[in-house]
Amino acid sequence: MSTGNIIAETSGLAIGYRISRRVFTVMSNLSLQAKQGELVALIGRNGTGKSTLLRTLVGLQPSLGGVVSLAGTGLHDIGPSRLPRIVSFTSTEPLAVRHIRVRDVVALGRFPYTNWIGALTSSDEDAVSDALEATGITSLAERSIDNISDGERQRTLIARSLAQDTGLLVMDEPTAFLDLPSRYAIVSLLRRLTREKGKCVVYSTHDLDTAVNEADRIWLMTGEGVAEGAPEDLILKGIFEKAFESPLLSFSSSSGTFSFIRGRETAIALEGTGKTARLTEKALGRCGYKTDPRAGIKVVVGERDGETRWTLVDGDRSTVFGSLYDLVNSLPGDAGQ
Amino acid sequence: MRPPEKRMTLAMSGLFILMILLFFADLLLGSTRLEASDVIRSLLGQGTPGGEIIIMQFRLPKALTAILAGAAMSVSGLLMQTLFRNPLAGPDVLGVSSGAGLGVALTLLTITPLISLPEGSAFAGWGIIIAAWAGAGAVMMIIMVVSTHMRDIMTVLIVGLLLASAVSAVVTLLQYFSNEAMLRTYVIWTMGNLGNISYPQIRALALSTAAGLVISFVMVKPLNAMLLGETFSRTVGVRMQRTRVVLLAASSILAGSVTAFCGPLAFIGVAVPHIARLLLGTTDHRWLMPGVALSGAVIMLLSDIISSVPGGGHIIPVNTVTSLIGIPVVLWIILGRAGLGRRF
Repeated sequence: MSTGNIIAETSGLAIGYRISRRVFTVMSNLSLQAKQGELVALIGRNGTGKSTLLRTLVGLQPSLGGVVSLAGTGLHDIGPSRLPRIVSFTSTEPLAVRHIRVRDVVALGRFPYTNWIGALTSSDEDAVSDALEATGITSLAERSIDNISDGERQRTLIARSLAQDTGLLVMDEPTAFLDLPSRYAIVSLLRRLTREKGKCVVYSTHDLDTAVNEADRIWLMTGEGVAEGAPEDLILKGIFEKAFESPLLSFSSSSGTFSFIRGRETAIALEGTGKTARLTEKALGRCGYKTDPRAGIKVVVGERDGETRWTLVDGDRSTVFGSLYDLVNSLPGDAGQ
Repeated sequence: MRPPEKRMTLAMSGLFILMILLFFADLLLGSTRLEASDVIRSLLGQGTPGGEIIIMQFRLPKALTAILAGAAMSVSGLLMQTLFRNPLAGPDVLGVSSGAGLGVALTLLTITPLISLPEGSAFAGWGIIIAAWAGAGAVMMIIMVVSTHMRDIMTVLIVGLLLASAVSAVVTLLQYFSNEAMLRTYVIWTMGNLGNISYPQIRALALSTAAGLVISFVMVKPLNAMLLGETFSRTVGVRMQRTRVVLLAASSILAGSVTAFCGPLAFIGVAVPHIARLLLGTTDHRWLMPGVALSGAVIMLLSDIISSVPGGGHIIPVNTVTSLIGIPVVLWIILGRAGLGRRF
């Protein structure tokens, strides 16, 4: 694992809002770190202050106490013209325009480097092309932002951030509104940027799966503060379970994922092996059955004429089914509830 | 040159040529028939005395005013649309023209008769302009405050509407207490008029339009950043507070000066930026700014020609023409884009 320089660090940071003279502290005493070449996922339930933390980190809103330092310099000592060369920020703010070309959006990332009129030099043009290529949207460059998919639009914003050529990229929910494959594609793109370009990417997300699987470091916001560490560290310490504690969910430490708790469960025996048996167990679980070899009723997975068949054995009665759907719909009792 | 740039250069050249052609058409056409050779000779000071008076005293100032007013109103609308992130923003829609009108009404109906200044004096020029700036600026500031608290486009538009109504109520009250001559001056002013403007006034209009356009053009870089939102602009180093004040001043100067001399020109400010975006196919203010100015000049010249040509003798108020051109564009924005898409 890389041991890059610390690019973002907070110590004793308090975040929140000042509205006229009243102070609303969202969270205090945050001491966090992010290093070059790291993918950092910021996770937390709604309303825990993820956006507030990110906005404080990039200097969009003042902290209520403590210190933020970026690239070794305190945020307050970084001049307004240098800050945009150290950190870029992608928010969920909608664009004001409809007919803007992808290339023009990305080119606006060069803002801190261009002259008074915003003319691109050849090195700016190169940076724009590189950013388009790194995010895989070179072929979309001349398209209007309204004629591309949500995932491609997110790539455009990432490319813009990349064109800004900062060591630290902060992104507020880059995977919001995306479908599962696009979410994975975006997070793996972010990860690739940390590996190939040495960037540090800090992003907030609600998507635990990708974060646990891809992030080097997790900042997990709980009611008490932010826990920090490798995803597996946080799982081992049981912090995930505490952060997302809910009577409806159970956390699997082995996979690092949550699943629904089904309530009362009925025992059922299962005979069979391989993928079919695992999926059968899953289907039974969804209907409130827990596999137990000692149970009175039994499902036997087998094959007949090259087709998978399920046989439900209840005492001396046995019924054969051709699909899991038919099987679970003829299970006895109200166990399904 | 990339294809988009080629298209933009082509569109701009086309607009420029069109502007020159329409400028001469505006000089040529009118209630009195003049030959093209008369027009050119009059411009060079070698025409017949009658032709020279028509060209130099009536048509030339009118055509020059059309160019200045069209460019200024349109660029003012462009600034407001980007500033408020509102495709339907414009000097008249947001009540800025009405604000300028209030300034003018106050000077025309109260101050001028009080100190009984001679018509066409220096004060009548700059005094009215400054009053219009103040009125426009005041309304812009109210809209600005509202739009920072309310993101909703409709809310801001409704506030603009209410402001315009409030202002016109005050103006009605002023009219009630003013004499007939002043009233007539004021009513003619509200119809929009490119003609009734003297050379000193044109100079004042040209100077303030030039100032407004220069300030606007200096702001193209932050304006482009603002297309991607306020948060983005701030994180790339745009000083939003300062930028807002400068844009507010520039659009008030542009809309205020035109409104002072030509009356509240309807729909030019809202419609022309959209026409220019369509023609140039860009949202980049570096191209859009001159493109909008040229389109505004072209459309204003066209409106002026239409308003004075038909039938001869009669002149229909130029506001009627600009409304007939502008309203379809505004309708197209509202209807053609799935309601108010919150975007351009």
